[in-house]
Amino acid sequence: MSETRFQTMKDLPSCHLLGTGTALCAGCGGLEALHEIYDILGEKTVVVNAAGCMTLLAVYPFTPFRGSWLYTAMASAPAGAQGVRDALDILLAKGRLTAEEDLQTVVLTGDGAAYGMGLSATSGAIERGLDFLYLCYDNEGYGNTGQQYSGATPHGARTATSKGPCGYPGYKKDLFAIWAAHRPAYVATVVGAEPLDLARKIEQAKNRQGPRLILSLAPCPTGWDFDPSETAQIGRLAVQTGVWPLKEYRDGQVVHTKVPQKRLPVEDYLKRQGRFAHLFQPQRNEALLQEIQARIDAYWDNLQS
Amino acid sequence: MYRIRFHGRGGQGMKTASRILGTAFFNEGFEVQDAPRYGAERRGAPIFAYVRAARRAIYERGVIRHPDLVIVADETLVAMPAAAVLQGVDAHCVVLIHSREPAPVWQHRLNLAGPVVILPLAEEREDRLALRQIGTACAAAAARLVGVVAWTALEQALRDELAALGDALVEANLGPARRVYDFLSPQQGCVAPGPVVAAEGYVRPDWVELAFEDARVSAPAIHAALTSEQVQTGQWRTLRPVIDCARCKGCWWVCSTFCPDGAIQVDESGRPRIDYAHCKGCMVCAAQCPHHAIEAIPEQDAPPAEDERGAK
Ligand SMILES: Cc1ncc(C[n+]2csc(CCOP(=O)(O)OP(=O)(O)O)c2C)c(N)n1
Ligand code: SF4
Ligand code: SF4
Ligand code: SF4
Ligand SMILES: [Mg+2]
Repeated sequence: MSETRFQTMKDLPSCHLLGTGTALCAGCGGLEALHEIYDILGEKTVVVNAAGCMTLLAVYPFTPFRGSWLYTAMASAPAGAQGVRDALDILLAKGRLTAEEDLQTVVLTGDGAAYGMGLSATSGAIERGLDFLYLCYDNEGYGNTGQQYSGATPHGARTATSKGPCGYPGYKKDLFAIWAAHRPAYVATVVGAEPLDLARKIEQAKNRQGPRLILSLAPCPTGWDFDPSETAQIGRLAVQTGVWPLKEYRDGQVVHTKVPQKRLPVEDYLKRQGRFAHLFQPQRNEALLQEIQARIDAYWDNLQS
Repeated sequence: MYRIRFHGRGGQGMKTASRILGTAFFNEGFEVQDAPRYGAERRGAPIFAYVRAARRAIYERGVIRHPDLVIVADETLVAMPAAAVLQGVDAHCVVLIHSREPAPVWQHRLNLAGPVVILPLAEEREDRLALRQIGTACAAAAARLVGVVAWTALEQALRDELAALGDALVEANLGPARRVYDFLSPQQGCVAPGPVVAAEGYVRPDWVELAFEDARVSAPAIHAALTSEQVQTGQWRTLRPVIDCARCKGCWWVCSTFCPDGAIQVDESGRPRIDYAHCKGCMVCAAQCPHHAIEAIPEQDAPPAEDERGAK
C-alpha cells in the first residue's frame, strides 16, 4: 500500500471531527469505528441514516456531525441517498454548487437494514450505479430494539429471539459477497480495533466513485454482553481468530489486507462474550464449538487453494 | 396502592428489578403494573422503572409521580437533575439509597422529611459485573420494605424472571437477594400504600398550546454543527479514567484513537487530554494504553473539583 498517506500509526488523525455527547452506549464499537471513519471522510458529507442505534446520534436539537444528516425509514436509506445525490447533481448542473462544494452521499445503517430490510433498495441503488458510500456498522442484531436476531447474527449466538441452548440456528449472511457480486466500485470490511487498516480503506473508498460499501464489525457491549472496556480487545480478537476477515474488493479482485499468521482458536473470541456463554456452561457444547471452528478453518483453507 | 420507583443507570438491572418485584407481588395475589422508562440514552445513562401493586384493578397509567418508595441503586444519580430521583418525594415516601454513607447524612443533605434507609455499598461492587446483582438486591429490598411479599413469593419471582439466563446466574443472584431481604427485616413494612386517586380529582396539567405551523417551519431541522457537545454525557460515568502523566509516553495516541466517544484530544505537544464533560467511563482507553498509564478510579472517590472540561 505505497499510495496511502497512512503508512504508520503515527499518521492516524489525532484530532477528531465527530462531536462528543451522543446518546450511544459507553464502549460502543460502532461509534468507535464511526469516529475513526469520520476523521478521514470529513465534514463534506450528507449522512443518510436508517432506523437503528445510530439514529440516536442526532436527536433534535443535537447533532455530532459537522455536515448534514437525514433520517429515513429502515428499508429506504439507499433510496434517500438517491434523492440527495440527484439534488446535488441538479445543483451542480445549474451552477448553484461548484465542484469544490460538492458533498459525498453517505448511507449509515446497522446490519438489520444492510443485510435484511434495506437489501432490495441497496441492490437497486448499486444497479443504477448510484455514487454513494454505504457504511454498515454490524453489531450482528437489531441492537436498538434489544438485540433480536438479524441476517448478520452468527450461528450459535444468543439473541433476544434465540434463547435456546444452541442459540441462533441460522448462519450469518455474506454481505461482502452479495455486494461484490454486483460488481460495485469498492467493498471493504473494517473494524475500529484495526485503525490503520480502516484508515487506508476509507481513503480508498473516498477517492472512488460509484457504489461503495464499508462493512464494519461493531462489538456491542450491550447486545453481545461484555464489559464496555473490552470493545477494542474483542474487535482485535475477531481478526486474530479469523472470525472477521479484513479484506477489500476493488477492480474486480478480492484482496485480504490482514491475514492472521497463526489464527487463535475461535473460543478465545467466543468465551469473552455472554451471548456465547451457553456454549461453555453448564457444560461445553463440543460439537457446536467444533462446527464454528471448522467453518472458519474452511474459509481460510479455501483462500490458500 | 403501592407505587415504587427504581432509579439506576442503564445496565444496572432496574428493569429486571421492576419485573422481579412485580412478579413477586403477583405471586402474593396483587394486581400489578411494571414498566421501565428509558430516554434515548443507553448503558450508563440514568433510567428508572416502576411498579404499581394493589388489591384491586389498577386504573392509573403512566409514570409514578407520587411514590411510596423510591429505590436508588446508584447514589451518584441523586445529585443529577436529569435523573429526577426525588421527584414527588414527600414525608410519606421512603427513600432507600445504595450507599456508603449513613442515613442521617442523606437525610440532612437532601433535607428529606420522610424516612431514609441505607443499603450498604459493598467494596466488591466496584467490579462492574457484580453490579448486575444490584437489580435483584433492589427488588429484594423493596419486597421487604413493603412488608407484604414473603421470601417464597420473591424467590419464585426471581427464579422465573432470571430463568432464561441460566441456573448459575439464578443461584448467583439468590444469595445476595436473601442477604438483603434478611438485612432489612427490622424495617419490614415501613412503606405504607398511598391512596388510590379517583378520576374526578384529577388535575389537568398546564398544557402549552402550540400553533400548527407549516412543515418548513415546524420540521425538526438542526442548523448548527456539533450541538451534541452541549450534552454532558460525563454524568453517565461511574468510573473515571485518569492519565498518569509520568507514565504516559505520548505514544501514537492509542487512547485517543480507540475512545469510542472521541473524548480524548491530543494537544500540540502530543499529550492526551480527557474531556471529562463527555467521557462516559467505558475504560476502553485504560484497557488499550500500551504503557498502562490510565487508571480507573470510582467516580465517588475522585476529586470533585476537577475541571469538567478536561484541563488537569
Ligand atoms: C420498518 C421498520 N421495522 C421496524 C422498526 C423498528 N426498529 C427500529 S431500529 C431497529 C433495529 C435495527 O437494527 P440494525 O439495522 O441492525 O441497527 P442497530 O439497531 O443494531 O444499530 C428496528 C427493528 C423500524 N424502525 N422500521
Ligand atoms: S446497543 Fe450496541 S451498537 Fe447500539 S449503541 Fe449500544 S453498544 Fe452501540
Ligand atoms: S495510550 Fe497511554 S501512552 Fe499513549 S498517549 Fe494515551 S495515555 Fe499516553
Ligand atoms: S473511559 Fe476513556 S475511552 Fe471511555 S469515554 Fe472516557 S476517555 Fe473515552
Ligand atoms: Mg444491528
